[in-house]
Formats: sequence, structure tokens, C-alpha cells
Amino acid sequence: MILSKQEFLTASGVQVETLEFWLVQEWLIPEQTGAETRFSDGDVARARLIQNLKTDLGVNDEGVDVALHLLDQLHGMRHALARLHKDIAELRSRRS
Amino acid sequence: MAANPYDLLGVSSSASASDIQKAYRKLAKKLHPDLNPGDKSAEEKFKEVTAAYDLLGDADKRKRFDDGEIDASGAERPQQHFYRDYAGSEESHPYANSGGFADFMDRDDVLAELLRRGQQARANRRGEDLHYRLPIEFVESISGTNKRLTLPDGGTLDVKIPPGLVDGQILRLKGKGAPGAGTGGPGDALIEVEVLPDRRFTRDGDNVSLELPISLSEAVLGGQVRVPTPNGHVTMSVPKGSNTGTTLRLRGKGAPRREGGSGDELVKLKIVLPRSPDPDLEAFVSNWSKGKNHNPREGGPS
Repeated sequence: MILSKQEFLTASGVQVETLEFWLVQEWLIPEQTGAETRFSDGDVARARLIQNLKTDLGVNDEGVDVALHLLDQLHGMRHALARLHKDIAELRSRRS
Repeated sequence: MAANPYDLLGVSSSASASDIQKAYRKLAKKLHPDLNPGDKSAEEKFKEVTAAYDLLGDADKRKRFDDGEIDASGAERPQQHFYRDYAGSEESHPYANSGGFADFMDRDDVLAELLRRGQQARANRRGEDLHYRLPIEFVESISGTNKRLTLPDGGTLDVKIPPGLVDGQILRLKGKGAPGAGTGGPGDALIEVEVLPDRRFTRDGDNVSLELPISLSEAVLGGQVRVPTPNGHVTMSVPKGSNTGTTLRLRGKGAPRREGGSGDELVKLKIVLPRSPDPDLEAFVSNWSKGKNHNPREGGPS
């Protein structure tokens, strides 16, 4: 589902100033079409993760920055691994 | 939640509020599903620990629990979708980043090759090209025009039709396609232009052809006639003794050429007799002895 900025704020419970800060930090990179900013469900979940990190886990802003960066790399690796897995399965089935 | 919340957090029942918070944070860092994207059991454990902390982290609730007023059940948080559920999906994700293994892609082996291929397919993917069809009138295809296309989603797209466009030609509007992922940038809008047939004009390369009806007297005696062209009417001289099939050329009145200038309009004449029979014409033709001797089928099909 695609959410407008207002819908995103409601769904995530994030304050507008907080969101502005996150956007500047590039913790969130919503899709930009013309003047319109569009958020995905994934963005909402990512916002919740940032809130979890800050409130439940007591991570400060610098820590969030590091954690997100490492997590993004981890997901990049997971994607690459999943893709490799698929490619290898394909290669195998072609050979047999 | 059946287990005792103190046991779940690993603290004694006399632990201070700050000890409880410390214990919770320590466990949550280990168990948070987003910090364990591949561990399916993490979510269940995390939920238990969170529920325990929701109870013991709140002084009032903790007291009521200690007094036996409430039990540990019913304290679970509502079902939550974690970020890993989205980041792990098949679809490309704008945040995922290859910094953790880019060095493996630089090598020269099968693994590197597969990684590179996967990377191109996923990360920073350019948006898709969107295809549209746009019908235009024949004269618009020659002279050019501006059109507004209404998109399926209700949006509009302004399309400049350049002069001289041919049927089936595809116009590419850069960046007007679907949005991309990451730094991929949007795709293009590809607009296939359909030139509607015209009842007067047909096109052959850069030339435009037209069949022009003329009267018998214009054919025999010649004269000035008004001729439609894709860019409006012009006046043309029909030479004396013109015939059906005689083709006259209007220079530069055809379709624009890519290299500059324009093709021609070819005007093919067609003699048309008056609709209702004319007694004078009949009388003249029956007295016209030369006309009877003329056989236009001579030397051709008979």
C-alpha cells in the first residue's frame, strides 16, 4: 500500500519534526514522484524499527545510524544469497 | 504467557526498575526480530520478553502482579509486522545495500558473476517503461501538434507530436514511466502513435497523395482549382487536356523530411461527369465524330 505523508505519520505514530530529521539522516528514503512523497508499508515498518531501537533498546542517534547501515548491508547480503540460491537451483535443474 | 516474567527477564523478584530495564534491553538486542532477520524463532521469544517487560517495566502493573491482582497473561502486544518482513521480500528494496559483499563481486569467478547479475537485477533498478497508444489525425501527423494523453490512473501526459511522424512510430518521453528503485530513476513513457486513415490523403514516404475530382470542362480546357493539402488549401493550375490519372506535383506540400525540406503532394486527377445526364452534353458527344473513333483500350486490355 502506498501512503501519503499524512497517512504515514498516522500509521507510524511518528511526529512530523521527527520524520523531517529521519529524512535528513536518510534513515527513511520514501519514493519521490514530483512534489509528492509516497511511503510504503516497508517504510512504516522501518519507522517502527527505528522507534524500537531508540525507545526499547536505548540506542542513540549515532547508534541508529550504524545499526541501520549494517542492517541494510545484511539485507543486501540476504537478497544476494537468496538470488544465488535460486540461480544455483536453476543451473542444477538445467544440467539434469 | 505461562512463564514467570521475572524468569523470562532473568532477574530476581527484588530487582530494581533499572535492573529490569537493563535486563530487558540486553535480551531485546539479542532477540529483536529485525536484528535477527533469518531467525524465525526470534519473534516468539522477543514477544515473550517484551510482554514480560511491559508488565514489570511499569511500576504500577508490577505491583499489581506482585500482589497477585493480575497474572502474566494478556499482556502481549498486538501482532506486529517487523521490518524484516518487508526488507526480506522478493521485490527489490530501496535500502538494501551491497557494501557487505561488493568485494566478492569484483573477483573473476562464477560466484562473482552470479552476484553481479543478481545485483543488476535488483538494486537501484530503473523504473519500467510504460507503453501507451495515441491515435492522431493524418493531417496532425504531417503538420505536428500537441496532444494530451489521459493515463489509466487519471493522470495526464502532454505529448508533442513532431511534424512528419509516421504510423506506428514510437515517441519516448524520458522519465515519464514508472518510478525506479533506489537511485535507479524513473523509466520512460513509450507512446506508439497511430495515424488514423484519412479519406482524402494517403502517404508514400515523404510524399502525400490525393485524388482530386475535376470536371470535364476543367480537364478539357484547363483552369485554376483549389486543392486541399495537409497544411490547408492551395490553388493549382490544371493544364489544358488533363486526363483521369494525370498526376500533378505540388512541390514541398508533402511530409517534412528529417534532413530538412518536405516531400511533395501528388495530385491525381479524376474526371467526374455531372451527376445527372445533361442533354446538351449528349447532343454534343453524339455529333462529335472524332470521339467515336477514339478507342482508349487500343494496345491495352480489351
